[in-house]
Amino acid sequence: MLLNVKDLSLSLKKNGKYATILDHVSFQVEKGETVGIVGESGCGKSMTALSLMRLLPEKARLNGEINLLDENIANYSKRKLEKIRGNQVSMIFQDPLTSLNPLQTVGTQIEESLILHRNMTKEERRTRVVKLLKDVGLPRAEELVNEYPHQLSGGMRQRVMIAIAMACEPQLLICDEPTTALDVTIQAQILELMGEIKRQTQMGIIMITHDMGVVAEVCDRVIVMYAGKIVEEGPVLELFQNPTHPYTIGLLDSIPKLGQRKQKLGSIPGTVPAPGNMPAGCRFAERCRHTMAICRTTVPPMFDIKTGHQSACWLFDEKGGDQDGVVRSDELETALHH
Amino acid sequence: MALLEVTNLKQHFTIKKGFMGEKTIVKAVDGVSIVIEEGQTLGIVGESGCGKSSLGRSILRLAEPTEGSIKFKGEEVTGMTAKQMKELRKEMQIVFQDPYASLNPRNTVRTILEAPLIIHNIGTRKERREKVELLVEKIGLRRDQLNNFPHEFSGGQRQRIGIARALMLEPRLIIADEPVSALDVSVQSQVLNLMLELQQEMNLSYMFISHDLSVVQHISDKVAVMYLGKVVEISDVEKVYSDPKHPYTRALLSALPVPDPLQKKERIILQGDLPSPSNPPSGCPFHTRCPMATKECAEIVPPLEEKTPGHFAACIHT
Repeated sequence: MLLNVKDLSLSLKKNGKYATILDHVSFQVEKGETVGIVGESGCGKSMTALSLMRLLPEKARLNGEINLLDENIANYSKRKLEKIRGNQVSMIFQDPLTSLNPLQTVGTQIEESLILHRNMTKEERRTRVVKLLKDVGLPRAEELVNEYPHQLSGGMRQRVMIAIAMACEPQLLICDEPTTALDVTIQAQILELMGEIKRQTQMGIIMITHDMGVVAEVCDRVIVMYAGKIVEEGPVLELFQNPTHPYTIGLLDSIPKLGQRKQKLGSIPGTVPAPGNMPAGCRFAERCRHTMAICRTTVPPMFDIKTGHQSACWLFDEKGGDQDGVVRSDELETALHH
Repeated sequence: MALLEVTNLKQHFTIKKGFMGEKTIVKAVDGVSIVIEEGQTLGIVGESGCGKSSLGRSILRLAEPTEGSIKFKGEEVTGMTAKQMKELRKEMQIVFQDPYASLNPRNTVRTILEAPLIIHNIGTRKERREKVELLVEKIGLRRDQLNNFPHEFSGGQRQRIGIARALMLEPRLIIADEPVSALDVSVQSQVLNLMLELQQEMNLSYMFISHDLSVVQHISDKVAVMYLGKVVEISDVEKVYSDPKHPYTRALLSALPVPDPLQKKERIILQGDLPSPSNPPSGCPFHTRCPMATKECAEIVPPLEEKTPGHFAACIHT
């Protein structure tokens, strides 16, 4: 097991009060596996990534375990964390323009983690940097080393970001919306590059995205998040073919699909509850069309659907879940065959 | 008669390059001809910098077109006086991408929605009030929310307000510039549904500008694909999506990630980046990235030809 996150909870201070951003998030990433974390704005997917790297604002309260190769790094000191960041775990951010330093050359920025983590001579580093730039498919690598980010296009910048992340051959790569800011033809190039890197290394990848298309394309397993909690988790094929949580179903229904023109799209009524003002039971209950009495009072645990496929919805409680006497199997039937 | 007929529209901007101010011309829109029929939607797709937004803005004369003709209901729009334009804008409205930036944060929704009516001197105070209340319900907000300010609404609700504002004057044509790009997918679907409903109800025409191929496919009747200021392909949605004639359209469609893990498709990966619009390649603008490019492509500017009935593409090889 490469990464084992257990009961990760995060609270941030806002207007003098702590608001829960992540609530008991647990998941695993195996070696060589790509795990997608999907959800809409504010669901906590980016905060999950930042928590793993402990790139959090001051006064953030983080609880739970982050086991990286059986070592809990959740309580590591700053100094110990620095040994891991950029070395064992790297991160790629959404906007390559704001995450690169405009005052430093491409070469200097890639070199940085090599200086920190590797005992290399200047010449060795230079060779490595040029090789990294070539590996990520950039032309004129020797000259690029001395160029600045503003001289590059968006796609090239994102390739530089990937080169920086790959410099120390990390075991875990966290990608936060790596292609969201890019045009579709450039996105295709970057996704292809990432697929290649994945085949060549045995790196675990966490792919954070809002784009179900990207998930379907690159991920082995998917985690769906809603309002700071994981609501469903499963292998990619299973999740797309047999989504069980009403939120996942709603999300997939609302995507316009090629070949279905001018039909009414599925949509989810209402909006996400605000952090700090979460309902008592299931956080989706307010917007769900299958809400039962229990949904409003008790937080649903993850129920097993199949091996590796779990869903946090009372519809799948084998004990019957509801005390209302609502015919559960009917609800389930409509949920599944919607 | 078509509602909107744009012929050979050009929108060129002069920019200064560098410290000494060497002037270059950016051909943001370079000879575009499109037609929008009553009650129909024309989708405009393309990547950043292809000129799709500039096209929308120059049709409304928010930026003065350099050359070409824009006919709305048969009447020439270019060269109209400001007064005539004001009248015309009742019938042509725009919805912007960013619902956060396009609503005045200091005004209540009521004030925002009433503004177009006041500007155009329509109705008495009471009539205006009634109209605002009627429309706000049509777009799925409550009357009691009219006194709220934009920040009290979510992104999707704000975009609905933007649409309501565009609808206040009962226009015939709405130019929607990336209206759902800033929204989450479940909210995006609400707004798309609303736009389709309103279209049917009011027989509206849309020019729907977007970089999202699946959204454009969903809402449009016809679609124009733009690349570096030019329309490279234009036809009915079905034709363009099922049988794309231009290599760029083919690459775009194949690059689109499909939300279906079973669908493994042959992907055309384009090499390189989009050339700068201030320094476009010679001949066919796409030849630098085109997998089918030959020597002629660098020399000949391919005309938009009818490849099959009603299906136009600008490529000498297809």
